[in-house]
Amino acid sequence: MALLAPRPLLQIRLRQLQVGGRVLLHDLALEVPGGSIHSVMGPSGSGKSSLLAAVCGTLDPSLHLDGTVDLNGRPIDALPTHQRRVGLLLQEDLLFAHMTVLENLLFALPAGTQATRIRQARDALAEVELQDFDQANPATLSGGQRARVALARALLAQPLALMLDEPFSKLDAPLRERMRELVFGAVAHRGIPALLVTHDPADVADMGRLTVLP
Amino acid sequence: MIARCLALLLAAAVGLPLVWTFAAAARAGLDAGAWTALARHPQTAGALGLSLATGFASFVLALAGSSMLMALSYGSPLWARLQRPLPAMLALPHTAFAVGLLLLIAPSGWLVRAGVAVLSPFNHGLGLALDAPPPWQTSQDPWGLGLIAVLTLKEIPFLLWAALAQLQRPDLAQRLAAEIQLAQTLGYRTRAAWWRIVWPQLLPRLQAPLMAVLAYSLTAVDIALLAGPSAPPTLSVLAWQWLQDPDPARNALGAAAAWLLAAGVGVVALTGWLAQGGGRPWARARWSRGVSQPAAEWGVASSARSVRALARGAATSALPVAYTAVACALVLGSVMGVWPFPALWPQLWSWEAWHSVAGSSTVVWTTLILGFTSSAAALLWSVAWLEWAPARWQHRLQPLVFFPLMLPGVLWVVGMHALSLAWGLDGQASGLWLAHSLCVLPYVLLSLEGPYGRFDPRLQTVAASLGRSRWAFVVHVKWPLLRAALAASFAVGFAVSVAQYVPTLYIGGGRFSTATTEAVALSAGGQRSLMAAYAALQWLLPVLVFGLAAWGGRTRRFPPRTQTRSLQ
Repeated sequence: MALLAPRPLLQIRLRQLQVGGRVLLHDLALEVPGGSIHSVMGPSGSGKSSLLAAVCGTLDPSLHLDGTVDLNGRPIDALPTHQRRVGLLLQEDLLFAHMTVLENLLFALPAGTQATRIRQARDALAEVELQDFDQANPATLSGGQRARVALARALLAQPLALMLDEPFSKLDAPLRERMRELVFGAVAHRGIPALLVTHDPADVADMGRLTVLP
Repeated sequence: MIARCLALLLAAAVGLPLVWTFAAAARAGLDAGAWTALARHPQTAGALGLSLATGFASFVLALAGSSMLMALSYGSPLWARLQRPLPAMLALPHTAFAVGLLLLIAPSGWLVRAGVAVLSPFNHGLGLALDAPPPWQTSQDPWGLGLIAVLTLKEIPFLLWAALAQLQRPDLAQRLAAEIQLAQTLGYRTRAAWWRIVWPQLLPRLQAPLMAVLAYSLTAVDIALLAGPSAPPTLSVLAWQWLQDPDPARNALGAAAAWLLAAGVGVVALTGWLAQGGGRPWARARWSRGVSQPAAEWGVASSARSVRALARGAATSALPVAYTAVACALVLGSVMGVWPFPALWPQLWSWEAWHSVAGSSTVVWTTLILGFTSSAAALLWSVAWLEWAPARWQHRLQPLVFFPLMLPGVLWVVGMHALSLAWGLDGQASGLWLAHSLCVLPYVLLSLEGPYGRFDPRLQTVAASLGRSRWAFVVHVKWPLLRAALAASFAVGFAVSVAQYVPTLYIGGGRFSTATTEAVALSAGGQRSLMAAYAALQWLLPVLVFGLAAWGGRTRRFPPRTQTRSLQ
């Protein structure tokens, strides 16, 4: 019988996150098992996005973090961002304007045989139903299409965890629903933990827990 | 209607002399006999080759140096350290920088003397002859290496400044920072992300500054006279020598050489453009070829990280250190007296050179008056133009105003000289003022356009809703808010005017001397301290005006809030 690989687990133990003398967050402990989405809600300025940045390693230098972030039992808070393997999906899709859709996806893949990489990128595009858009200029895509390319790009890097900072807030209702399905499906399928910052109660996933920041 | 008439007058005031100048320069290049003589002249081919080689090499090195410095420092505290000394570096004029650098790297300069001082204690074993300057040629060398060094070091801060101006645009800065962070989450180091994300988006925005650097590097006269080879000299120097000759046939030869130089700039620019287009597929493949280092590598030895950080710090400090050394060499060089080799410091310090500078008050006054009047005229014109000219007109006239930046200086003065002769301004102070004003104008307009364009238009709506006229809004709201930009633009104009060499001598008919013309003239003689004093003056005057501009444009300080008692 094959041994089951342990499911990735994201653990955040935050004693304090402060800017200047002001404490943004304190005494926060989150455990997000693989395949689940932990939603975080709270008013503007409560530190939701800073929490995601602390996990990604993109925290503004003016913020001081006192705590630890572990991924699969290994501390990652001392690692530079590019070594953490934490994917990021933001409100803005941030597709690179000087690259085609395919090049945007290739950017996320490790170096290797070009034919294999192109096949992987095309498969990823097909997964988000954009197989005919590989040579398209990102500027010509609709908001929903751009969001799907951004999701495909984030997943191609094979992250061990996914940070979602209001990724659906700019989409209209039907698109938002479809995008939710895609994102939640990808998280479940890959069995990775995800942290979702949102203002919309409809975004809160059934497959995880909810933390409301004061 | 009045605004349009005013804009028309403004367009005519600048457009007429510029069009006249270009037409006259074009006419001067139509002399078939001059072209034949130029083709047959024994120095032409060598001089052209030198101009192309030194200009292109310094352009490539400056571009590589500035892009690497940005890549090394972006996203780290070094980024701020790279930006901070830029205004001071830009304030050092090309000629003053060349003089200071030559004082440092000359065979009897400070660097060699410092090397001798370090080596002397160990020389018993080495047996080197350290009692005379080495027989090297560090400037005016036949390969133009000294010229390449001066041009490269002087153009790097300009390219950095142009790039930072783009990177600090609110619309771009935030997006690029977010894209870099995103690339990091995809496994890229900051530097790799810079080359693949920021640089490809930045480079197309730098075409105009790059073109200006290329044109300047290939056609500079004053720097080439100071640091360039002399037999043969670069084509710009050769053209300049022919233009100054009393023989009209030699003048025509000079005009043809100036056109050849312009054609050289065009060919190099076109080649670069084609190479960029041809290399695009290769570049695109590189941007998207993926992370070369597995992202799964958990951590890098902290010692390796420290060494890398140290190397980055040293690389970004090298330029400010070089500029500080040049500035010190200038100042110390201007007060050195007897200085036998290989002593590190002069035996005697002397204020003699500065006494001579103070004695030639005409030079100082000419420099000051020309600088103030031409930059004031350029500032007034630019403000009026940006305020009252319709956007479409501004867009259309822009290439004409900026065109002198792309032209070789020697070609521009050919046309300008023809204009001054036709308008009876040759050798007159008014002609010189006009030439300086037209030289200064593109720089003033360029530095003012950004702040003017970014000014929040809603403020005017608010002022209008409060019943205030447009004039009242401009005088009481807009100009006070733009005070810093207006003062800085004036200082930029002043610095550009002070640095003019070719127009001052040619349009002024040799009757007017400024700090720059004196410094270059003295480079041929042995009065090292006097040359350094004039070069230092050429630097200190703009620094003074930049200081005054910073003071005049400082942010308004409001009195601290006092507690008021609430009325019960």
